Amino acid sequence: MRLALAIACFVILIVHGLVFYNQFFHKWQDYQTTYYDQALSMAKTPAEKSSLADKSPRIEQIIVTQFGETRVDRCTTCHIAMDDPRFEKYGHPLKTHSYSTALGDRLVNGKWERRHKFSDFGCTVCHDGQGRGLKPEYSHGEDEYWPEPLLGFMVQANWRKEFQPKLKGKDYLESACAQCHTEENFPGTPTVTEGRKLFFSQNCYGCHKIEGLSDGTLAPDLTEAGKKFKLDYLWESIVDPTANLATSFMPNFHLSDDKVRALVVFLKSRKGLNFAETSLAHYRAQLNAKRPGSESKEEASTPSPAPTLAGPALVAQGEKLLTDHACTACHKLKATDGGIAPDLTYEGLIKDEDWIGDHFKNPRARVPDSIMPSFRFADTEFRAMTAFLVAQHTPPPATAPAEMYKALCQRCHGEKGDGHGPIAWYLDPYPRDLTKAGFINSKSIDRLRHSVKTGVAGTSMPAWGKLLPDDQIDGMLKYVFATFTKDVRVEPRPRKVPETNPVVSNAASIDRGQRTFLDRCAGCHGKKADGKGPNSLDILPRPRNLRNAWFINSVDDRRLFDSISYGVQGTAMPSWVDYGLQTSDIGDLVNFIRSLNPQATRSINARAN
Amino acid sequence: MSDTTTHKAGAKPPGLLTNLLELPANVWNSVFRNRLPEDDLGRSSTSFTNFFLHIHPVKVHQNTLRPLYTLGLGLMSFFLFFVLVVTGVLLMFYYVPSTTQAYDRMLDLRGSVAFGTFLRNMHRWSAHGMVAMVFLHMCRVFLTGSYKKPREFNWVIGVVLLLVTLGLSFTGYLLPWDQLAFWAITVGTSIAGYAPLVGQQMKFLLLGDTTVGQEALLRFYVLHVAVLPVVATLLIAIHFWRIRKDGGLSRPDDAAPITAAAPAALSVRAVPLAKDKVFGLQGFVRSTTAKFGNVPDRTVFTWPNLLIAELFVFVLILAVILVLALAFNAPLEQPVNVMHPPNPAKAPWYFLGLQEMVSYSAFWGGIGVPTVFVLLLLAAPYLDRKPGGVGVWFARERFLANTLFVTIVVLNIVFMIIGTFFRGPNWEFVSPWR
Repeated sequence: MRLALAIACFVILIVHGLVFYNQFFHKWQDYQTTYYDQALSMAKTPAEKSSLADKSPRIEQIIVTQFGETRVDRCTTCHIAMDDPRFEKYGHPLKTHSYSTALGDRLVNGKWERRHKFSDFGCTVCHDGQGRGLKPEYSHGEDEYWPEPLLGFMVQANWRKEFQPKLKGKDYLESACAQCHTEENFPGTPTVTEGRKLFFSQNCYGCHKIEGLSDGTLAPDLTEAGKKFKLDYLWESIVDPTANLATSFMPNFHLSDDKVRALVVFLKSRKGLNFAETSLAHYRAQLNAKRPGSESKEEASTPSPAPTLAGPALVAQGEKLLTDHACTACHKLKATDGGIAPDLTYEGLIKDEDWIGDHFKNPRARVPDSIMPSFRFADTEFRAMTAFLVAQHTPPPATAPAEMYKALCQRCHGEKGDGHGPIAWYLDPYPRDLTKAGFINSKSIDRLRHSVKTGVAGTSMPAWGKLLPDDQIDGMLKYVFATFTKDVRVEPRPRKVPETNPVVSNAASIDRGQRTFLDRCAGCHGKKADGKGPNSLDILPRPRNLRNAWFINSVDDRRLFDSISYGVQGTAMPSWVDYGLQTSDIGDLVNFIRSLNPQATRSINARAN
Repeated sequence: MSDTTTHKAGAKPPGLLTNLLELPANVWNSVFRNRLPEDDLGRSSTSFTNFFLHIHPVKVHQNTLRPLYTLGLGLMSFFLFFVLVVTGVLLMFYYVPSTTQAYDRMLDLRGSVAFGTFLRNMHRWSAHGMVAMVFLHMCRVFLTGSYKKPREFNWVIGVVLLLVTLGLSFTGYLLPWDQLAFWAITVGTSIAGYAPLVGQQMKFLLLGDTTVGQEALLRFYVLHVAVLPVVATLLIAIHFWRIRKDGGLSRPDDAAPITAAAPAALSVRAVPLAKDKVFGLQGFVRSTTAKFGNVPDRTVFTWPNLLIAELFVFVLILAVILVLALAFNAPLEQPVNVMHPPNPAKAPWYFLGLQEMVSYSAFWGGIGVPTVFVLLLLAAPYLDRKPGGVGVWFARERFLANTLFVTIVVLNIVFMIIGTFFRGPNWEFVSPWR
């Protein structure tokens, strides 16, 4: 017992010794002692000498109050010679901070005068890092928890190895400059300027919001990206979008390292309210950003083609714009394929000018569930791009159905015909599963041929009849039946269904229809009939969006009756006659659904948007 | 120490010079009324007249000194509390409970305050240690059946002390105002929000707001540095006092009356008492056995047997905490970012069992099961009143009670381990070896 007691006491003694040693012998004291010794040997006047001889090491600090929250920068405790021009040749930490005319420093009477005085700016305003720390590990931000490691100098150990060398360099400091120098095209921050241009030219703004610059809603808000994320995260999110979020559908833009760096520096400079702004100015900018007319600011800065441009020149202009705006980051155009959005190679054949124009200005005007952002290009740009797309009217060469399927259908319907093509995830409604014999064989060949030929309105299925002759479409159908559906095809006999709705549409009927709908259909189709009911997530194909006016208006009463009465085989839609719905009930339902999608007005509304 | 100089009654009062010469000795002797004890009377007298020692009985049963019986857990908890109070008071000189300053103060503590890092490390590791020790102490008391009559209420106080300890640790968790603190408390307090009827009100009362913010920081600070320490100190005092009044630590009944003097831990020189000695009635001590006169028994003198054991536990605990504080830095994560929760956001480790259960059922995991468990603990001495099996680890008579208790404890520990090591983003199961 007594021995153990003695040992424990000894341990306590040792620990105390170590703690006291750590407390009273600091690295920074050595640096300061060295500095004062060196300065003493350089001193010329006796007054200087005596003042230096009196110096003893102490913690130096600069308190910075003018830039955001108060900062306490103790960096000069080690970097004590920062402002002493005699130490230019020394190594860190006893090295003079370089003087540079680019930073606004001036040589007056052989003496440099700093534009950004350390006494006003401190260190972390420009360099980041942690001002309060006194150990390099903490103050340089080596510690992985510190959100602002020294910009462009310090990479944290947990950052991805391949990015680490790319995240060093003086250009990263520009993001700190941009906190005060917010004007566009500020000559001191070329990388920020380039990044801002890329943010628009690469269409980042279509999906991402940055307060005062853009209002995309599809993707995360980047207003405070520079505050929230470190350089490695920003870099990774651009070059490997799925690294942080497996379900991210941000395209990989395959940018060069220089462009990625410019974007990272630009994003790092976005920290919400910056030093140059008062909160009032910030609020005002926020209000203005929401006003629809305020978009012209950006447009004015991008060169727009002269409205007089026409013919091939306009088409050429459109092609350039399509590339500049990175449309192919999502869409496919000939050989380039973004892997997210439909093929534009035959757009001129499939769609007309109106459709393309409408879709450009408001993608949801023609495909109500499209995820394409509304880009705010100038009208002239829209016209040029539309002209280019309309000019895309070379039909594909006639080939065997298998080749044809691969070229035209596979992107959506998938290699196996199961509707899980590479871009299927981004389409709503989801592409049809062609292997479901229950569905395919319950529909007449005429109906299937019609869908292929004229497309399905309000969805991403194009009218292939506009680029393929009838015999090729029939050949394709046969190929699909044989390859994917497999079951022996027996033409279904037409069911007994009224040709037109026997129930007259009036307020009473619509009301009855709505009640039946809420009672029977809302579980899957949703209370709003938008196809997003509580059960919809478990169902594939998803329940139809019954507010998709383009689709609903393209199908006749007979088909609605057929689907409701006898269900849709191969889907979750049951046969409602089995559940006791009478023809009159179904008639009410059809009237209700039709009432949600007023004909004619819809497209006019869309155009007006 | 010099001999006490006494002057016979009736003699001439000493002169000023004598008084001055004898001043150091007299002051010393007035403070320490006994010499270092050399005989049993001195040992008794020292224990009896010293404020800090009089909490001890003059003599303690040998069983109390068996290291493997108590494992020193209760004492360890107390000494950790002592270390926490001392380091906590020192930290209070630097801390400001403000959302704008708290984190900067942490950086200062780590960066430039003398011994700042070390104090914080000591405080943090002692806090974790105290939660663990109090919990283990409770296990010891249960598994030795020590809550049986007459110690029922002291057990209840002990359970309340466990809750106060958890409260202290939990409220302290928020104070660094870093991401770890913020989200752990956010998770912890939302568990409280699952309580039926009063859950949301309780959460609001605790936070002073609907989310963790300045009000919550201030409330947690006041609870942490004032309210809970006072409550804990008071309860600890009562806890100790009742140990004395309930006849010392629990022990099995002495099997047979002792005829010969048992060997004491230290040899004791017996001194015959003076014949004309007058006894005062010092108090009633409840016990199953009554003892009067110099009957041989299994007790030994507190001084030095118990005191040296206590000193050893203290020095051991201090050594362990110091080494831990030197070797491991208390975590300080990034400053609070309300918009950027870590995934997963985890509660402090001792609440991870709860959080794990919450992931199965918010109400039952967070409120139902823990409430039932605490109520069972509080009621244990009143439900289990069979007298047998006291003072022995895993007594056969207590098989059922011990099994139930161990099952619950092991389940809780398993949940804690799953919550700590096996839960990744979105609280999905991950393997720590991946």
